[in-house]
Amino acid sequence: MLTVCPYFHVHQPHRIKQYRVFDIGHDDQYFNGGDETDLNNEKVLRKVAEKSYIPATALLGELLARHPEFRFSLSFSGTVLDQFESHLPDVLKAFQGLVKTGRVEVLADTYYHSLAFFYSRSEFERQVLLHQKKIQDLFGVTPRVFRNTELSYTNDLATWCEENGYLGIMAEGWDPILGWRSPNYVYSPKGCSTLKVLLKNYKLSDDVAFRFGNRGWESWPLDAETYANWIHRHHGDGHTINLFMDFETFGEHQWEDTGIFNFLRDLPRALLAHPDTGFKTATETILAYPTVGEFDVPHILTWADTDRDLTAWVGNDIQKDAISSIYAMESDVMKTKNNALIETWRRLQTSDHFYYMCTKWFNDGDVHAYFSPYESPYDAYITFMNALSDLQLRVTRALEENAHGKVPRNLFTRMWERFSAYWKKIMASIIYS
Amino acid sequence: MRVLTFGWDYPPFKNGGLGVACHGLTEELIELGLDIIFVLPRAQPTLGNQKFIFADKNPVTIHVVASQLLPYQQAQSFIEYFSKDGKRVRFERRIIDEVHRYAREAYSIALQEQFDLIHAHDWTSYLAGVAAKLATGKPLVLHVHATSFDQAGGEHSDPEIYALERHAFNTADSVVAISHYTKRVIVQKYGVDAEKVTVVHNGIKPHSPHQLPPVLEELKRQGKKIVFYNGRITIQKGVDYFIRAARKVIDHDQNVVFVISGWGDMEQQIIHLVGSLGLSKYVIFTGALWDEERDRMYQAADLLVMPSVSEPFGLVPLEAIQHGTPVLITKQSGVAEVLTHALKVDFWDTDEMANKILCGLRYRVMNKQLVEEGKKELSRITWRHAAHKVHAVYKKLLGWLNERG
Repeated sequence: MLTVCPYFHVHQPHRIKQYRVFDIGHDDQYFNGGDETDLNNEKVLRKVAEKSYIPATALLGELLARHPEFRFSLSFSGTVLDQFESHLPDVLKAFQGLVKTGRVEVLADTYYHSLAFFYSRSEFERQVLLHQKKIQDLFGVTPRVFRNTELSYTNDLATWCEENGYLGIMAEGWDPILGWRSPNYVYSPKGCSTLKVLLKNYKLSDDVAFRFGNRGWESWPLDAETYANWIHRHHGDGHTINLFMDFETFGEHQWEDTGIFNFLRDLPRALLAHPDTGFKTATETILAYPTVGEFDVPHILTWADTDRDLTAWVGNDIQKDAISSIYAMESDVMKTKNNALIETWRRLQTSDHFYYMCTKWFNDGDVHAYFSPYESPYDAYITFMNALSDLQLRVTRALEENAHGKVPRNLFTRMWERFSAYWKKIMASIIYS
Repeated sequence: MRVLTFGWDYPPFKNGGLGVACHGLTEELIELGLDIIFVLPRAQPTLGNQKFIFADKNPVTIHVVASQLLPYQQAQSFIEYFSKDGKRVRFERRIIDEVHRYAREAYSIALQEQFDLIHAHDWTSYLAGVAAKLATGKPLVLHVHATSFDQAGGEHSDPEIYALERHAFNTADSVVAISHYTKRVIVQKYGVDAEKVTVVHNGIKPHSPHQLPPVLEELKRQGKKIVFYNGRITIQKGVDYFIRAARKVIDHDQNVVFVISGWGDMEQQIIHLVGSLGLSKYVIFTGALWDEERDRMYQAADLLVMPSVSEPFGLVPLEAIQHGTPVLITKQSGVAEVLTHALKVDFWDTDEMANKILCGLRYRVMNKQLVEEGKKELSRITWRHAAHKVHAVYKKLLGWLNERG
């Protein structure tokens, strides 16, 4: 028996609009870009929905209906769920419909798609709880398998997951860590006794996620039969093929004209054509198979580029400056007890902001590897730091007001004003009626 | 391989970056084993040392033609240049006449010399190159450091120079542009076949300058930040946009001082603009700074701005980075194609220019990274690299490419 465990990650950040030094202290709306650029979050969301979320959820729904064996897992950032709720409730409904079939599992995550685990354990835990609550509210399920932002992973994170009651965690099946061993089995994270780790088969995952539409690739054009054959070859040398990729692979990273939807439409049939092949969600995979060995990751492992580390997010000085500046604010921000400030601070923790500041591609002269709504990493940094400077001002002001007891007095005054206005209205209506 | 090369000036003659570029490229071509005969139109004011520049590497022979010729002019304008002591010198002769005179001389030089191909730098030498081709039938390479559109700020050009350039581009066997920016102009505005144009970015000589004696110490002691402009003061260079951005900077932060080094036909206009915007307190005009004085200013500055409206390449930001100063450059510059560790802005967007000036001064971590990473990037922008590309153009023209790779 060989099972396939597909898992698709759904995420959109709150990108910061063009925000200049002159705006500091005057504009506290960092994420409401209304222009025609890709800094307009609603515009981007609608575009991606058009190309990916809407057609891909519809197709996955069809496949679930047609193949009773078909199953997969999804993970959502809280930031994308918030944006669906505000702008595209129908897309959210489509995802809810998939989960309702009982054959689509939802995974645990950080709410703000952040790297908080490596910078603030307390903030990380708050974000995981917020995320869990959100998933419960929207989908009526409680996640039991954890995946961290950018699939970032260490032994410590696995230990944390075990201590907090999760069944499993996901990680990259990276050769330097596996050595001669295969990613197609379930492993036991070092230091854990019950938790299991599912490892991404990055070769087979990236054949779809990255290489599918590449005309220069030796296997282009890839059809479902060929791909299913590649997977069937693992019969006898593995239990599970873990295919982890962005949900946006379907229609956004790989456009419709690459044939990606036809590929996806054919895939379950092609895979199930082999009598001994099936599908499992993450939890089902973990419960079905015993562990075959230990997975030991003392340093941070991610699913990103050839280094599989965090250098794309915190590799250069401006990235380190930006991320340490945001976490340095934690105690002050939390002290304000102001939900708007805390929410804004958290949105600024989303890993995408730091990714946009990455300069490592330029070292090889590979400017085209820079995927960002900003024209340069320095534009991204400037925009981020300007917004952060404004947030710092607001936090300082809020703390001063708290210290001088202004908030209760203001609240009282406001209530009194509202009451007296209401009273006058009633009196007037009595007098003039 | 021997190349008959036509230029217009050569270091240590001072007239902007063009002579420096010729020098950098020629040196590296010689390193690659080529023979270069470098022809100059006239005796230079600093001629004394000139003949000895390559005295130890003898393949270079320098001819001096008796005429006065300098780049960056209108066809009908008179010739001006700076003498050794920094004074402006003017000749009562029109530049277009000198171009033709240079070409006549070139014809007879070409008949006397032995060489495989001809390479002419900048528009003032194009006709000389064309004449040499006419005389000998050898292949001609034109090296475009600027076009007449650049000098007028991008949209218009001197019709006499335009006609000359167009004729020369058509006659040439190959055209070398110093940036994609310039290639686009050549293809779009002169109708030259894109296949014929090769982009060879300029380089910069590796240089790790010493710490020089400081300048403007008193201002710095007062906590002022120094923003430096170094270049000619002409419409092409966008100094007026820079001044308008300066006003917006000062409205936000009065602890900034703008230092403007250079000369040019917009000088009076810029001084008036500074006055009318009430910026006299914040802008220092130093006149043209050269050599160590200029380098000390690079080192004193917190940020260098190159606000060019149209800049085929732009050597100044690279020099600034060598001296440890980060740069803000316009997207309308060739150097923006090779320098990623720089702040970039559209020349007309003075709000964004002001924003980036302020951010460049405000965020020290970024400031430092721009310099450190910029220096690493500079080590890849070399004349050696440019010379290899030019050599490939030569080989292709001579049909050597297939035989010798």
